Amino acid sequence: MRNTNVLILTDDVEFARLLTACWQVERQLPGICVVTSEFWKEADTSSPDLIVVGPLKDGKLADVLRSMESNTALILCAPSEAKELALLRKKYPKLLHVPLREDWTQVVLLLAGESLRRTEALKLARKAERHAAQYANEATLGRYMYDMKHNMNNALTSLLGNAELLLLEPGGLSAQSLAQIKTIHTMALRINEVMQRFSSLASELREGETQSQVETEEVNSTPNSRR
Amino acid sequence: MAAHVQFSDVENCAEQMRVQKKVLIVDDSPAQVKLIQGLLEPEGYWPVGLNDPRRVEEAIATERPNLILLDVVMPERNGFQVCRELKSNTEFNSIPVILVTSKDTASDRYWGQQQGADGYVTKPFTREELLRAVRRFA
Repeated sequence: MRNTNVLILTDDVEFARLLTACWQVERQLPGICVVTSEFWKEADTSSPDLIVVGPLKDGKLADVLRSMESNTALILCAPSEAKELALLRKKYPKLLHVPLREDWTQVVLLLAGESLRRTEALKLARKAERHAAQYANEATLGRYMYDMKHNMNNALTSLLGNAELLLLEPGGLSAQSLAQIKTIHTMALRINEVMQRFSSLASELREGETQSQVETEEVNSTPNSRR
Repeated sequence: MAAHVQFSDVENCAEQMRVQKKVLIVDDSPAQVKLIQGLLEPEGYWPVGLNDPRRVEEAIATERPNLILLDVVMPERNGFQVCRELKSNTEFNSIPVILVTSKDTASDRYWGQQQGADGYVTKPFTREELLRAVRRFA
């Protein structure tokens, strides 16, 4: 929950103080921001992962809820008024209602913890999806390069070999042609060196990847490894 | 007009056949075959080209080569397959096979060795590299 943000929106200072205090004794603390309904629109809330709405001034709740995005995870701590809640739940499918009873802080922390864990899991899943897409692109590029390497090596074989064949009988060539063929031969050798460097780089990358995979597996399989 | 073939020509040809080592070059690319032929001929070898890997056995039976230079990446039948099948055939398994390929990783070499190849030359090769490999066997 280290990378998650919670916004506490309330006009009741005691509500905010109590909830924040309870959160601070928890093992994992999200980033917390407290705002009143007065500054709600002006405040830079930087898209929180969860909004906990506490007691607000009369008539402010509807305003506040109207300005929220319907997909934001929301915990509403308010006395239960079945009719109003039913309407709100319809508009905000992610709304969770916590009646303001004795144990409301524990319930809020429990619900918030689950909600934030879900958010975090979703973030990780999206990140993994992005990485997977990136790796798929890289794999396509790698396959293309591998195919090209084969064609390139075949082309180089012809280039290098034919240049060598011509250089075997230099007598029949003019000085200029001879110099040009020597240049072709030298350049073909240079391209070959570059290709070999690419190949060894690819092998090094593969070895590095295998090594890190082995290390990761070793760490995971050690029973006393620190988590 | 009848061709006049002198006895000395026939004798020379027979002598040449006795001395020259025949090398069967199997590669689907005619340009590569022609190139290898061009590199081997001045060295006294008798190169014979084949572009269709499906006809290797037939070509061996006809030509009786001393050495086979075999490409790997070929359509229909790859060089690893050809090599494996030649080496498991008692009629042909004494003929040395050199794989001549652009597949240059250690695992490719290992796999080639597993198929029974006697030598491995990676493309692109220099004239010297090819001749060094060929001279080991013929």
